[in-house]
Amino acid sequence: MFKNEEMEINLGPQHPSTHGVLRVKLRLDGETIKHCYPVIGYLHRGVEKICENKTFFQGQVWTDRMDYVAAVSNNLGWAEAVEKLMGISVPRRARYVRTLLTELNRISSHLLWLGTHAMDIGAMTVFLYAFREREEILDIFEAFCGARLTTTAFRIGGLRDDIPPGFEAKVRAFQDRFLACVDEYEELLTENRIWKKRTVGVAPISAEDCIAMGVTGPVLRAAGVAYDIRKAFPYAAYSEMQFDVPTRMEADTYARYQVRLEEMKQSHRIVQQCMDGLPEGAVMAKLPKILKSEVNEVYHAIEAPKGELGYYLVGEKGGVNPYRFHVRGPSFVNLQALPMMTEGKLLADVIAAIGTLDVVLGEVDR
Amino acid sequence: MMQMTPIPMTIVQTLVMALIQIIAILAFIFVLVPMLTFAERKVIGYVQVRLGATRIAGGNRGLTGAVNKLMWWMGHFPVISFFRGLPIFMADGLKLVTKEDIMPAKADKFVFWLAPILCMVPAFAVFAAVTFYPGVLGVFPAWFPIVGGLPVTGYMTDINVGLLYILGLASVGVYGIVLGAWASNSKYPLLGGLRSAAQVISYEVPLTLSLLAPVILTGSLNFRTMSVDLATKMTPWAIIPLFIGFFAYLTCGFAETNRVPFDLAEAESELVSGFHTEYTGMKFGWFFLSEYTNMIVVSALATAFFLGGHYLLPFGLQQFVPASAGWIAQPHLIFFIGKIGFLLFVFLWVRATLPRYRYDQLMSVGWKYFIPLTLVNLFIAGLVRFMA
Repeated sequence: MFKNEEMEINLGPQHPSTHGVLRVKLRLDGETIKHCYPVIGYLHRGVEKICENKTFFQGQVWTDRMDYVAAVSNNLGWAEAVEKLMGISVPRRARYVRTLLTELNRISSHLLWLGTHAMDIGAMTVFLYAFREREEILDIFEAFCGARLTTTAFRIGGLRDDIPPGFEAKVRAFQDRFLACVDEYEELLTENRIWKKRTVGVAPISAEDCIAMGVTGPVLRAAGVAYDIRKAFPYAAYSEMQFDVPTRMEADTYARYQVRLEEMKQSHRIVQQCMDGLPEGAVMAKLPKILKSEVNEVYHAIEAPKGELGYYLVGEKGGVNPYRFHVRGPSFVNLQALPMMTEGKLLADVIAAIGTLDVVLGEVDR
Repeated sequence: MMQMTPIPMTIVQTLVMALIQIIAILAFIFVLVPMLTFAERKVIGYVQVRLGATRIAGGNRGLTGAVNKLMWWMGHFPVISFFRGLPIFMADGLKLVTKEDIMPAKADKFVFWLAPILCMVPAFAVFAAVTFYPGVLGVFPAWFPIVGGLPVTGYMTDINVGLLYILGLASVGVYGIVLGAWASNSKYPLLGGLRSAAQVISYEVPLTLSLLAPVILTGSLNFRTMSVDLATKMTPWAIIPLFIGFFAYLTCGFAETNRVPFDLAEAESELVSGFHTEYTGMKFGWFFLSEYTNMIVVSALATAFFLGGHYLLPFGLQQFVPASAGWIAQPHLIFFIGKIGFLLFVFLWVRATLPRYRYDQLMSVGWKYFIPLTLVNLFIAGLVRFMA
């Protein structure tokens, strides 16, 4: 009598909550997801290929444009990967400043995640609270290097310039305020009944599945695996820092929310240590005018706000640009888990799952 | 409380009087709704540590330029600066009216037109039974043509099934949403329409049940009698069913009007704009207007039946105010409007604070919690009535 059909719906590429140009093909039975298929590539620019045709110095500019909300982390990964390829050692002061800025960037990235994720679930005020603090961090970046979003903050071998006058006061002012601000977000969300209903038990993914899919970052840690590259393979100045790796066992959206909030507090702690223990000295290693690589290949991974960000570089003899460049982007790999997290759930959970994965399409598509 | 003595009127006089009242009420709605959108910008703006609207679109020249310069100047003064964005409600209305009207190619033209009307007309017609003031507001001066010397009442009709009429009309509104969604021939509106249909139908039950408590307490369906009796003639115990009923009613009212945290039908982050995704221009404007008018209706009913209506104190506490207290012992239009204003503020406040429920959770909250709660409340109301 009645025809019972599944409806195919395209969530995106133009949709308020797919965070850019993600397109998710969904087959719906009523509101239940029968099949979920993320379609990517709308923002593909060929960053890897472009970087192979740029010198090592120029390539860094392109890393800004991958994960544009965590440009400093991307810069750090590139700079350190090239340094590893060339065998350059960076002065201690530069490593401290790098750590400081990267952690501030982690906070700003998590703030953007918090705001947009809460907005997707319907709590619109958190967004503006989070952006208030993010604005301050962007001001700090601007004071440091003149750019707010696409920073190109570091140079291969260290920093272009030392920290400017007034920079320390700015960071300390932010540090003094920030923990109270996190409490403010928690007041709005953590014990909110509707927030808990929308996140507890939603879009779960077990530790085994995470590892099988290559999922890293807060999503993996919320599943109970304390894997953090800052601890596992320390880089920059992380070996000298005191911080905890927050984990949760529940592996759901709420656990990821808690992990990320705790990570912001830990980042705050690291920034404080960097400020207090900032060593004196030079910020730039002695480098030749033109960097030329040997035949060599490196894989260097850092803990970006979204997970393991790996740079694979192959150098050729006397090459001024990488012979081969490949990025292991955390957003790209984490996005693979989306069908696993959402199939059989409801339409509203897809939105929550995209939010909790914290993907940036600039990096997914590269 | 003034007693009504019916004054004989001719048919023409009755019609003219009704027309004047209709115009007054429509003016009230058409002023209040734009003010409400302005208040929404401002209240949510201040909750979210920003200013809200302070300028209107346009450059530095011409009329908009003059208005913008004026608003820039207003920014120098503490209280006045709050009202800087006020002209935006006129700009909003103008934009809606002058915008190109787009209809999807495969839309059902007739239903597509019908839906906004179906949404809007009941929302306005409900006000025919709302008592703004339970007595005579004033008398027309003798020189006034046709109705000179006649008293103006604070209500349009005094029908003895007022509440039934309101509930009946209010449930017609959902047809507008469902038909509009279906007629758009588009997937997101369809999902929004289905959600809305399920939601409004399930919340209509606890909404009506929570309104039945005042009906039991007063033994009447007449809006005026109910609102006056509930404020002044209850036993002290009536505060329990009225208090519970108020919260149940207000929550279901949020669901009925598709407002946060129950705004699933137009969940922006999920369904783009829900049922009115394909609507533009003034056809969207009618949906918008009806949503905000419904908010006013819900606030008006909550005020009249739970918050003491035209009297000062809510939940039947007015009886403890001695008649000798003078001004505050009397009903006043300003109390009624003021309480509506406060409830409308609550709507905006909640919107700025809470996330959105998921579809299945919304249903379970409605059927598993609100219907039992309102049924128990109904029982308590019966008990109170029985004891009195």
